[in-house]
Amino acid sequence: MQLVVAGFFALLVVAFWVFQVAQHQKFREIAENNHQRRLPLPAPRGVLFDRNGKVLVENQSTVNIALVREVSGNIDRTLTLLAAATGADEAKMRETVSRRRREPSYRPIVLIENASPPQLAAFKARRLELPGIIEQTVPARQYPANEMGAHLFGYVSEASETDLTRPEYVGAEAGSMVGKAGLEQAYNKLLMGTDGDKVVVVNSRGREMALARPETLPTEGHRVQLTIDADVQRATEEGFRHFGYNGAAVILDPRNGEVLSFTSLPAYNPNRFAGGIDLASWKELTTDPLLPLQNRALQGRYSPGSTFKIAVAVAALEEGVVSPDFRVFCPGGATFYNRYFQCHLKGGHGSVDMRHAIEKSCNVYFYTLGNMLGVDRIHKWASLLGLGEKSGIDLPNELKGLVPSTEWKKTTREPKWYPGETISVSIGQGQVNVTPISLATMMMTVANGGTRYTPHVVKAVDEGKGKGWEPVPPPPPQSVARMKQSTIDAVHEGMWMVVNAAGTGGRGKIIGYNVAGKTGTAQVISLTGAKIAKGKMDVRDHGWFIFYAPHDKPEIAGVIFAEHAEHGYLGAPIAKFAMETYFAKKEGRPLPMLPPLTPPPARVVATAAQPVATTAQIRQ
Amino acid sequence: MFERRLFFHVDWLLLAAILLLMGIGVAMIYSTTYIQIPEPGRPGSQFYTQIYAIGLGVIAMVVFLLIDYRKLAESSLFLYGGLLLLLIYVLFRGSTQFNATRWIAIGPFNLQPSEFGRVTIALMLAMFFGENRRGARNIGDLAMAGVFAGVPILLIARQPDLGTAVTLIPVAFGIAYLAGLRMKFIGILALCALVLAWPAWHFALKDYQRTRIITFINPDLDPQGDGYQQRQARITVGSGGLVGKGFMNGTQGQYKFLPVAHNDFIFSVLAEEKGFLGVLVALGLYLFVILRSIEAARLSKDRIGAYLVGGIISGFAFQVIYNITMSAGLAPVKGLTLPLMSYGGSSIIATLAGFGLILNVRMRRFTN
Repeated sequence: MQLVVAGFFALLVVAFWVFQVAQHQKFREIAENNHQRRLPLPAPRGVLFDRNGKVLVENQSTVNIALVREVSGNIDRTLTLLAAATGADEAKMRETVSRRRREPSYRPIVLIENASPPQLAAFKARRLELPGIIEQTVPARQYPANEMGAHLFGYVSEASETDLTRPEYVGAEAGSMVGKAGLEQAYNKLLMGTDGDKVVVVNSRGREMALARPETLPTEGHRVQLTIDADVQRATEEGFRHFGYNGAAVILDPRNGEVLSFTSLPAYNPNRFAGGIDLASWKELTTDPLLPLQNRALQGRYSPGSTFKIAVAVAALEEGVVSPDFRVFCPGGATFYNRYFQCHLKGGHGSVDMRHAIEKSCNVYFYTLGNMLGVDRIHKWASLLGLGEKSGIDLPNELKGLVPSTEWKKTTREPKWYPGETISVSIGQGQVNVTPISLATMMMTVANGGTRYTPHVVKAVDEGKGKGWEPVPPPPPQSVARMKQSTIDAVHEGMWMVVNAAGTGGRGKIIGYNVAGKTGTAQVISLTGAKIAKGKMDVRDHGWFIFYAPHDKPEIAGVIFAEHAEHGYLGAPIAKFAMETYFAKKEGRPLPMLPPLTPPPARVVATAAQPVATTAQIRQ
Repeated sequence: MFERRLFFHVDWLLLAAILLLMGIGVAMIYSTTYIQIPEPGRPGSQFYTQIYAIGLGVIAMVVFLLIDYRKLAESSLFLYGGLLLLLIYVLFRGSTQFNATRWIAIGPFNLQPSEFGRVTIALMLAMFFGENRRGARNIGDLAMAGVFAGVPILLIARQPDLGTAVTLIPVAFGIAYLAGLRMKFIGILALCALVLAWPAWHFALKDYQRTRIITFINPDLDPQGDGYQQRQARITVGSGGLVGKGFMNGTQGQYKFLPVAHNDFIFSVLAEEKGFLGVLVALGLYLFVILRSIEAARLSKDRIGAYLVGGIISGFAFQVIYNITMSAGLAPVKGLTLPLMSYGGSSIIATLAGFGLILNVRMRRFTN
């Protein structure tokens, strides 16, 4: 009997030895996970400033009302009371709670994001009746200018599991706020900062008993100074709204590639994402036929129209195919390879040289140059000017346009390039397409005489360690093609004449500042007759206006892409207003105001026009 | 009644070991039931209750030590009758906690009659087998013993309190074994038990009892449900390590991850806070208590004394081994306390009364 008992005790000793000594490490870790909870203290993201120190994007402490289920006795009743007190949507709160029911019950579930002061007051007054309801203060991204620069700044939202594998999200954890578009995404690492944390000891019901170790405080993300000028940015967007267009604009400093203004319209309000966007709003954004989430400046690919003639002019002059004084007689059209190509002026331009061909945008002149050059030399120079290439801007998801070449043609189904196709290409039609940013890059490169700087939006960074602003060295140019002075002179003069003489860009003229420019019309090409017949799409042409100023010493250059504006010259007043703002600010004059609309725009975007009509009818 | 020289025959070593184990138990109860909030905290009510119970238990022990065990055995029929009455009373008028009716409320105290079953049955059976003059034990004797033990076992199992009911079985077997029951019978009974296991599983066991056995076999099936206690018990023991986390520094017990830590899982808390070394000390003390008691049975001057001690210590040893196995997460969780250490007034009083009898037998080994 003694032996049996002693045997059992020996077995127990072995069992305890196995658990307590042999497997101690494993069980110690499990026990720690049992009673310690790590609560992240989210770091505020870095503040964004414009080039003059104006705050563009900041953080604001917002207060959320949340539910801790383990403390709340009767969740149903609590939710009903809370909804009654704050006026929040009870069904929606219930849905949230039920969706997250599997999470540990000590973890707060946010019921009301960014609670308003009356809601908070109502909650505080009835706190005793609402067990388990707490308020949480969290730093939330704040975009004071709302939709302005939305596609430039991007937005933040909660990182998903798949996001965490991407390089720009290193250091983020599931649930932390990360940049999902624009600057917020591109510079996420800089802006994100380092979350602090608090490790608390909790009991089996999740109640916090003590701090397991001193909490580590969050480190705010780096402050970033942009090359953007807030006033030019605002002026550009105001211009679009004033004249009733959607579209895109990129305005650069041609001396270094700094981006002064970057716009894509329609935009969204990034503030709606900051606290977690609800499904309905997200659906609304993704199903909007105007595609407010598309960054047109970087991703929209459109036919360049006549703006492409600048690239053809540079190619012809630089390749030595013609001199600036080379003349062509335009009778209103010409025949190449047995096909008749029209000029836009039926009566013809008569005999024109390079400058006047640019001024009048004479198709026949450029058909002739294109035919002399051949598609590959056009391709070479278009590429050197940035067309069909990525600009390399420090914003995510840029797309390339296309400038055809015989090499490219081999990759398509029809393996041969026909010289006749070159004729359309030489006036920016046919296969050519470009993004607004690449056209801005071309304008900058032509303006500065051949250096294709890399457009960039970040000027300086402050790490917040007391060192202050440290300039970020500009990225190296994408390519440098030293253009002959005669080329520069001829093209610049032609573009000056577009605005200041008998050209199409007169609406961009600013007295005393020698604006140069070129208009273009982008056919909405991808349409088939069937689609047009159905009338489901807006088939009116897009308008381009590329510009720089001043003519002799360029310091501002850019592109206005006005969606469905039909004529390039209709975008010119937007450019003019942006440039006026730029010069006024530079010279310390009061910033300009937009002129009243006279006459009202011929055709505003349909959605905008209708309410106006209705009001008019009511007045009658 | 009490001769002075008997005083010198009291087994002081056994008594010391018992008191030490109770001391460890009280310390662990103090640790797990200490009320931290509000600051600076105060001991829980269980700590005081346990001390009172030990006081009452010592009185019971002295009473059962002073009265000659033979006299007690002679009156065991009355004690047995009283036990049955109490158990029946519990079934109809008992107070209910945690879905079981086990207690009789006496003023502020709850008496748990089933805890006194072991001592009573040990006295009863020791008397039965000890007074029986015939040499060999036959099936008839065994059947009688089975009925004596079986009635209270069934009454307790009805409460339901399967754990306590089961602890009566080793008492009966211990005595029957000492009285000469052949191992053959035990083997046959074990076979019967196996055969009966299938119908018992389907008809006799309640759902919660079935799930306890299933989750014992695979505790990870339901980590938050029935496997929870088992899992947490292993974590508690394993995280203690060699020297433990220190008195009142355990996390599993202190933060209530381990349920009923002051009661069924008191040994797990000891393992967590005092580590493997503390476990060795406690196991050593228990082993000493058991072996020393078996020695008392051997030294007994008559069969009644030997059977009595054998029965009591069999029940004690079974309960200790089962509870400690369970506290390491190695046996299905049953509401089975660890004698001498677990919180519980009735348990302490009954256990100490039992040790009073063991000391009684040893003390009177020379008297006539």
